[in-house]
Amino acid sequence: MSWLRGPRRNELFWAFLFLLPLLWTLGVAFAYAFFRALWWSFCDYDLFASPKFVGLANYAKLFADLHFLKALFHSLSFAVIVTFTQTFLALLLAIALNQKIRGLTFFRAAFYTPSILSSVIVGLIFIWFTYRRGVVNFLLTVARNYYPYFLSFLGLVIVMQSTLVLWGRKRGFPVRAFDPVYLWISLFVGGVGAFFLGHFRLIQPKSMPPVDIIWLETAEKFLGIPRPLWAIMALNIGTTVPTMMLFFLAGLQDVPRELYEVAELDGASWWAKLWYVTIPALRPVMFLVITLGLIGTLQMFDQAAITSGVAPLDSVITLAYYVYWNMFGAGGLPRVGMAAAAAIFLAVLTLVVVLIQRRVGIGEKAW
Amino acid sequence: MKRLILLVVSAVLAFSAFGQEKIIIRIAGHSVDKPVKEALIRDVVAPKLPPNVEVVFEPVVDDYKQWLLTMLAAGTPPDIFYVDVYWAEEVVKTGRVRALDEFLAKSEILKKEDLIPVLVDAFTVDGKLYAISKDFNSLVVFFNKDMFDAKGVPYPSADDDWFTFWDKVRRVHNPPEWVGICLNPDFARFLPFAFAAGMPFLNPDGTAPFARPEAIAAAEWFSAPIRAGFGATAADLGVGWPGAAFVEEKAAVVIEGGWLIPPIREGAPLMKFGTTFLPTFGGRRGNYLFTVGYGMPVDEILPSKRPDLVWKVIELLTSPEAQSYILSIGHAIPSRAALLSHPVLASPADPFQEAMRTVFIATGLPGTVPFSFAPVGSIYHVAVAEALTKIFTGELSPAAAMQEAAKKLNAELKR
Repeated sequence: MSWLRGPRRNELFWAFLFLLPLLWTLGVAFAYAFFRALWWSFCDYDLFASPKFVGLANYAKLFADLHFLKALFHSLSFAVIVTFTQTFLALLLAIALNQKIRGLTFFRAAFYTPSILSSVIVGLIFIWFTYRRGVVNFLLTVARNYYPYFLSFLGLVIVMQSTLVLWGRKRGFPVRAFDPVYLWISLFVGGVGAFFLGHFRLIQPKSMPPVDIIWLETAEKFLGIPRPLWAIMALNIGTTVPTMMLFFLAGLQDVPRELYEVAELDGASWWAKLWYVTIPALRPVMFLVITLGLIGTLQMFDQAAITSGVAPLDSVITLAYYVYWNMFGAGGLPRVGMAAAAAIFLAVLTLVVVLIQRRVGIGEKAW
Repeated sequence: MKRLILLVVSAVLAFSAFGQEKIIIRIAGHSVDKPVKEALIRDVVAPKLPPNVEVVFEPVVDDYKQWLLTMLAAGTPPDIFYVDVYWAEEVVKTGRVRALDEFLAKSEILKKEDLIPVLVDAFTVDGKLYAISKDFNSLVVFFNKDMFDAKGVPYPSADDDWFTFWDKVRRVHNPPEWVGICLNPDFARFLPFAFAAGMPFLNPDGTAPFARPEAIAAAEWFSAPIRAGFGATAADLGVGWPGAAFVEEKAAVVIEGGWLIPPIREGAPLMKFGTTFLPTFGGRRGNYLFTVGYGMPVDEILPSKRPDLVWKVIELLTSPEAQSYILSIGHAIPSRAALLSHPVLASPADPFQEAMRTVFIATGLPGTVPFSFAPVGSIYHVAVAEALTKIFTGELSPAAAMQEAAKKLNAELKR
């Protein structure tokens, strides 16, 4: 133990002292709580009478409970769909925001805003937006009634842009298909053209009845998953993509510039650079994003809790909400044993899913 | 010398602190009650207590029952807490709420005969009384007189049955300015009508009663405004609850309780409105009694350790002066029988007092039951609520939805 003498020992002592607050918090809030929950998952307890040991009965009852099975299905599908979509979108966004374009700082700040808002407040606003006569249905109605305008605008832009590009190439200039200057001209012509088409009544807005999709107060399913859960998925993706985008942006800064230069020397196109250089170099960040995404989505609670006031319980229940519902929601005294068993199950499930992902999916070593 | 003076002064100060031991009694209530309760404590309760006793109101912003159960489990409840009839039995079953019969027997100010009998029954579990009701409420029909006059429709009255009532609402429906009725798929509004139609709480064999023809008929009747188009839900009108639709004059009729009176007073003080009892079916009328009472924890976990003082505060909070104060601000109907002859209730002077009188009389009518789902619990009304939501959105027909609710409740009851 000679290494434990002298200055080394001093260092260890101070290290321990500085770590003590964190260890204390971890110990009380995590270790003690975890082991107590583990103990209670093997008991029948209602917070008032003393706990009675019942072995694995709670776990057996879990799998016989329809609410739990629904919650399990919802949590797994939510985790898979949301993690996949948000990783993909975050990557796209990060690559887009890594270019040297004007107003970059503004766009980065603007796109990051949804993540910093409180999820409870965003959830409440989301409920208002998805009322039958709310903003979402209103926008869909506008889109449905004004689609002739959109189509003609798009058509004019395409026609104008192709004309300009072909004309430029005919004159011998190497014009790109999406040349910015020509694109601005085409957009302007398209906008003015669509406006005049409408003005002279060559195209008219349709007057179809308003879109009346019920987003939350329904139990209807789409592809086997309840519609309220799809709405919550959209909300979750919108608010988590910016945070993941930040991770990717940071990762992109670390990609060595030499790799890009070598690729360009070999004549790689924009797409080839993305696929063969950027994405492989981002593997550690992608591993982080996917793992954090899986953990966060498996434990989704706040949005389910907020929408449980308007949507039926069985349409938005997730594993985390199932734990809460057993403690406080179901009426009667708290079913602490069931809640604890479900919580332990959720913890083990999260660990298993992350380990599987690491083995089978994206690993943490860079290329 | 200086040290001696210092010693003497500090000794005097130390001993003076022991002379008058300060006792703090904590009342925990809903945060919306804060202004009323603090005024009550200041004006009515504090003057009658010894000077070293301080009564403090602590607002609770969370779900109250959840908070209370947690506090009782942890052994740190307040001295006085609210007990809502909706979850009274649950909380009493924890074994941590004190029975109040012995205090009532010894009290000089408050006697069991002083309280309205149905309110005593609401808080009696296994023969013992666990809370003193502080006020109560029930459902009545609120209607906007100007809208009925504009359409030339006679006002809803106590003689209306289900069919004449909907007929009047259909005739007063005036899109796009106002709808006939603002109605949510709320089990607390639907169940009184189902009971009036003859649906029992549970079938005699203990199974769910929702598939009975009376229940389905009630569901068809209750959802008629939404399905036929002469009514709308609160969300469709862009408000948070039907009361707001009434105050903002978007609906001619709503079914609410006395809690709608303060919002009308604040938001539309000049509105000409009237109130009447719920319509009958076959001569039968149903209603729910909503009531909240004051309870105290058992002596072992009572924080102030002075049950006698805590009881005194409860007595003062339910005293005639306190209840008179509450009645005059239209908050809720008091629980002391003597206040029924208070001028506000006996000869009302304005629509607000008339409304309170209607609510009070409605509570005493036959067919009124306490708003409680013991011993089945919340699974009962969750099944009904989901059925109502599906009927209101047109997903299922009333018959199919009620049958599904019956199946769901039976499955849960077997657990």
